[in-house]
Amino acid sequence: MTSGRLPRVTDRRMNDPRINDRRMNDPCMNDPRKTIVVTGVGVVSPYGIGMDRLQAGVLSGKCCLESAKDLYPGFAGCAAQVGDLPLPSEGTSTRYSRSDRLAMIAGRDALAHLDGEGAAFRESGAGVFMASTVAGLSEIDPEIAGDPGAWYRHGGLARAATYPPSRVADAVGEDLHLYGPRCAVSAACASGAMAIALSANLLLDGAAPMMLAGGSDALCPFTLSGFNSLQALDPEPCRPFDQNRKGLNLGEGAAVLVLERLDAALARHANVLAVLRGWAMTNDAFHSTAPHAQGNGLADCMRLCMEMAEVSGEEIGYVNAHGTGTPLNDIAETHAYEAVFGSRSRPIPVSSTKSYFGHCLGAAGALEAAITIVAVRCGALLPTLRLTDPMEGSGVNWLRGEVLRQTLPQAMSVSAGFGGSNAALLFGEAGFGDGRA
Amino acid sequence: MTPKLAAITGIGSVSPYGVLAGLIPQSHPEPECITAWPTAGLRRAFLVKPFRPASVVPGLKTRRLDRLSAWALVASSLAIQDAAIDLSQVDRSRVAVVFATGLGCVELTEAFYQSAAANGWRGTDPSPFPEGLANAPASHVALWHGLRGPNITVGNRGVAGECALIQAASLLRHGQADLAIVLAGDTLTRAVYEWYETAGLLSPACFNAEPLAEGHGIERGFVRGFVPGEAVAALVLEPAGRREVRSYAHFKTGRWAAGGQAVESVRQMLGGSVPSLAICAGSGAPCDSGSAAALARQISGPSAAIVPADTIAAGLADAGALLHLILALSSRPRSGPALLVGSSGAGCAALLLEIA
Repeated sequence: MTSGRLPRVTDRRMNDPRINDRRMNDPCMNDPRKTIVVTGVGVVSPYGIGMDRLQAGVLSGKCCLESAKDLYPGFAGCAAQVGDLPLPSEGTSTRYSRSDRLAMIAGRDALAHLDGEGAAFRESGAGVFMASTVAGLSEIDPEIAGDPGAWYRHGGLARAATYPPSRVADAVGEDLHLYGPRCAVSAACASGAMAIALSANLLLDGAAPMMLAGGSDALCPFTLSGFNSLQALDPEPCRPFDQNRKGLNLGEGAAVLVLERLDAALARHANVLAVLRGWAMTNDAFHSTAPHAQGNGLADCMRLCMEMAEVSGEEIGYVNAHGTGTPLNDIAETHAYEAVFGSRSRPIPVSSTKSYFGHCLGAAGALEAAITIVAVRCGALLPTLRLTDPMEGSGVNWLRGEVLRQTLPQAMSVSAGFGGSNAALLFGEAGFGDGRA
Repeated sequence: MTPKLAAITGIGSVSPYGVLAGLIPQSHPEPECITAWPTAGLRRAFLVKPFRPASVVPGLKTRRLDRLSAWALVASSLAIQDAAIDLSQVDRSRVAVVFATGLGCVELTEAFYQSAAANGWRGTDPSPFPEGLANAPASHVALWHGLRGPNITVGNRGVAGECALIQAASLLRHGQADLAIVLAGDTLTRAVYEWYETAGLLSPACFNAEPLAEGHGIERGFVRGFVPGEAVAALVLEPAGRREVRSYAHFKTGRWAAGGQAVESVRQMLGGSVPSLAICAGSGAPCDSGSAAALARQISGPSAAIVPADTIAAGLADAGALLHLILALSSRPRSGPALLVGSSGAGCAALLLEIA
């Protein structure tokens, strides 16, 4: 396994008096007990295993979406798949679903960041909060519909046991021997971000010293067929925020963030990768599948997130959008950005990284959180790929073309899903908090 | 962080006990014979008697919804009504929905698989797809009542209901909501029942028509399997003292863990106090084998009153905690501190409550 070893930020910055002054003047950072930081990120994406692969992939602008014809008989379209996926251990081919396996590998990768301290965390009561929409659906065949008992007797019993979404969290917890609070969240495509938000709440509650939070979802005929039946898939690589967008592509992957309170991270001289400065969750209460046409719920969510972080729209340097590429989502989302950031002195830079490896459903929010952390750490504004004819968006700077390099103290990741769920996460550079976009 | 009390001010339930607002009158429903799908001989379970949701909540349209969504809508409406909340007077952007389920909308998920079996993956029926997602019930609750706060669906082996209650209280504590509708439930379908049967998890009571013996306790049921059931229970949770309204109990704090030192963790949460009442929320998992009761006894000591897990609520497996709590409250326990203890093969949960 390749582990994304990221350069230590804290080593060179934590002792810098200028930065410490700024940190102490930052209302979000001056109480380390109330500040949540990211000290590890584990990733399995179509780029491969590890944060370094993800970082190299998105910075290079490589698109992983490919024509896929063997996902089920008759399927014709684009998807982004994770290559060879190792089994967690011998003899576990039916015990774990593909979503479980993606999650377990991401979990191991996340703990690999902990400088050999993983064992200590295993005993500390660390918890796991994982999101999944697909979970074990990937392991269940349509034959179950005719005679479930017969399907179970012919090998389906263990596979069906992977069905509940809670199974993904159990798989990560059991694999890493973590025995703190363990939970799964299923809120469609906003799930991954919600797992991170809810974990942050738990840390502030003192329910666990550390949380592994993220999402995992595998490509499977169930979801491909479902989105196809809704006519939501673009047969070509998707074009979020383009006037000529036709729909989304599905991808697969997992991301797990190691979250802890700043005081705990400082006490163990942890490598702080980013600060989770704000988080929020809302619901549109508008329609079971369509977003609110004006993006009201999403706009409220972003405002609440900034309120928690005590920052203004001016201070957000980049938004990693939900950006599915479906006609309705992208319109609603654009309206939300206009409403929230319309009064900025400069347009808000926005892009959708679903144009790189598709929509990973329950994992999307977590993977995009990881990408947002990459953006903050590298000072990189990532473009939307294939965005040639951008939508109208007053006050929105649709990023396209090359990666823009600039200091990026704070960036937001936005997620939304069926059922009107919205989630927003605001990440800040480690050790900073008063920068301007 | 100093915990703030959250009051349980409303109760609603759709269960084998009936479709009810408020506490559940004492009764002893028997398992029903399954007729909704073909079975190899007599099969029984604790089923919700068919009812028209619109007859309980006028105007409700549930024809295209999974039963889990329909029942969540009914149970939430009854809980809101029981709490005497006029939603038109409430800032609904500050109302959260937290839903716990073990299996989600299995009825429509099965329907989607049926369409795939009949027509191939290329010809699936689009209507069951989004409605089969696990978060559909919570979304419909938000949509029907216009609730725009956080909308969360959680799963947790054995202790999903407890987890939902803790999450909801956390949202209130952090000011992320002013009011929370907490729900927990699951429905029973052929695929679910036959999974239990093939795995050898069912009680002998599922296969014969004899009435359950009086006092058919959870421990007895677990010795040789459990009787699966279905229900959705709903609670209204709001900051204590916010309104002058009756409350059934106050939620003080809660902990759950997947393993490790469960007893020590709960004792730490209790901070030296020992509640004289413990309510067991057996998960229905055969490996549970009454461990909630054992855990409760260990924590509360020999003098504590232990309310054993209810056979019907335990039939809900992961999502039985709220029904367990409602049933315990319905037995009119003495006011004072109480511990709700849930457990499963995957861990345990403990909630400290103050019975009003």
